[in-house]
Amino acid sequence: MSRTRQLIASLRDALGSAEPLPPPPPLPDVPPPPARVYTPRPEKRPFAAEAAKHTTALVGIGHVGTRYATDVVLQFQAELAVAHAAVGTLLPDEWAEQNGFIGVKSRVGDHREFLLRPDLGRRLDDESLAIVRTKCVRSPAVQIIVADGLSAVACMGSGKALYDAVARACEARGLSVGSPVCAQFARVWLEDEIGQEVGAKVAMILLGERPGLGTGDGLSAYVVHDPKCGKTDGDRNMISNIHPRGTPVEDAAGRLASFAAAMIEQRTSGVTLDLARLGEAGERAPRPPQVRQRLVERGG
Amino acid sequence: MILEPIVPTVLSVRRLPNADPAMIRAYGGDPERHRSLGLVTVDQDDPTYVALDEATKHAPVDVIFAKSFYAGSAHASGRLSGEILGVLGAEEPESIEHALAALLRCLEHDACFYDADGKRTVTVFPHVITSLGEYLSKEAGLAPGEPMAYLVAPPLEASIGLDAALKAAAVRAVKVMTPPTETNFAAAWLTGTLDECEAAAVAYAAAVVDVAAAPKR
Repeated sequence: MSRTRQLIASLRDALGSAEPLPPPPPLPDVPPPPARVYTPRPEKRPFAAEAAKHTTALVGIGHVGTRYATDVVLQFQAELAVAHAAVGTLLPDEWAEQNGFIGVKSRVGDHREFLLRPDLGRRLDDESLAIVRTKCVRSPAVQIIVADGLSAVACMGSGKALYDAVARACEARGLSVGSPVCAQFARVWLEDEIGQEVGAKVAMILLGERPGLGTGDGLSAYVVHDPKCGKTDGDRNMISNIHPRGTPVEDAAGRLASFAAAMIEQRTSGVTLDLARLGEAGERAPRPPQVRQRLVERGG
Repeated sequence: MILEPIVPTVLSVRRLPNADPAMIRAYGGDPERHRSLGLVTVDQDDPTYVALDEATKHAPVDVIFAKSFYAGSAHASGRLSGEILGVLGAEEPESIEHALAALLRCLEHDACFYDADGKRTVTVFPHVITSLGEYLSKEAGLAPGEPMAYLVAPPLEASIGLDAALKAAAVRAVKVMTPPTETNFAAAWLTGTLDECEAAAVAYAAAVVDVAAAPKR
């Protein structure tokens, strides 16, 4: 815009804010639009109703005209808000100490950088590296790490419970467990560096997973044999959706311990690990259908 | 809404690549240097003076003729007459093309009257030229490149506005055209630093708006 036009526009704004605009002219009489009332169809297709029992996916939700029903839209927005809130939550600095963990941190400086720079979240900063070298028990069979990952809500919610359960399950199988470590601003691959530094046979990281609609409290666990920097996702076995509506903590702990035992026995992990030899604990039982959590109630 | 820009309407744009020497002389040009002409009519005269001046900064052209018509575009002699005829002269038709492009750009995006009362019954032209071209610098007796506030409004509004502008900023009146001009407006050319010219233009516009809102206070 030209200089004069800018000057006069700012004068216009200044005068306009000093003197409010005159009242708007009265609106002409507008006839109301013809009444069109859409009601949800009462009968649902039987297959949609049946399918909806087995999934949290949005099937069998009906429609109003060409749109979603209000309660469906509100439910969607509420679930999205839960996910956003979970991503935005920070793990407090003192949480690790209060829960009996050795606190460490990745090379990430702040939360924004954590989201934008996955590479920095995969390495320990110098201070944390020194802590791991000096404070952690050397050469355990299993090094377990609790971390915030993409949902500090999940970490604070069931991180401690899952850690305790997994540690118990490992010890029950005669595997020694390393010092409890809690990592802040951590990505999955951080387990490689920590496991390598303590010389663990197996490293296991339990961290908040990327929130989905309505699930801000899910944990994932990634297990890797012979951890060292440079291991890839093909070298890992994992369990996701560890939350009350998905895989319960106790089930996950048993399965993770059996992963660790099998890795030590077979001296490998990831795609080359023979899961058929895991036995009962390793079997993939069909998971009971997840139930969608109602965040919005439909009125009568 | 007050102080909305009223963008000038360009009514005609024609070229004479090889004008007759007698005609060039009659319009104040030099047949040796101004063989090629560009002619425009516009419905706002003062923005056009500014745009003609702008054109001289973009090509080797001279403004050989620029005159406002009596009583303004509301009383024009024809559909295409508007309020002003401007004639640019140059040796080469190509220079005329560049100059006309700059002139039309200035009229569309920069120089224009503004609505001072929300009904377009009082208008004001509080324009700041950041850097004078060949044409208006000669008319004003200033050096090319100097800033100048080019202020126009109806007679009484212009008088009150000029007083406000001179008091609001450290500017000097270069030329004051008391009413009536050809179009029955009144005008003033002020100079100073660019900041002072801008302050003067804003004070002038604010005073005209104030008079338009309360003419008999």
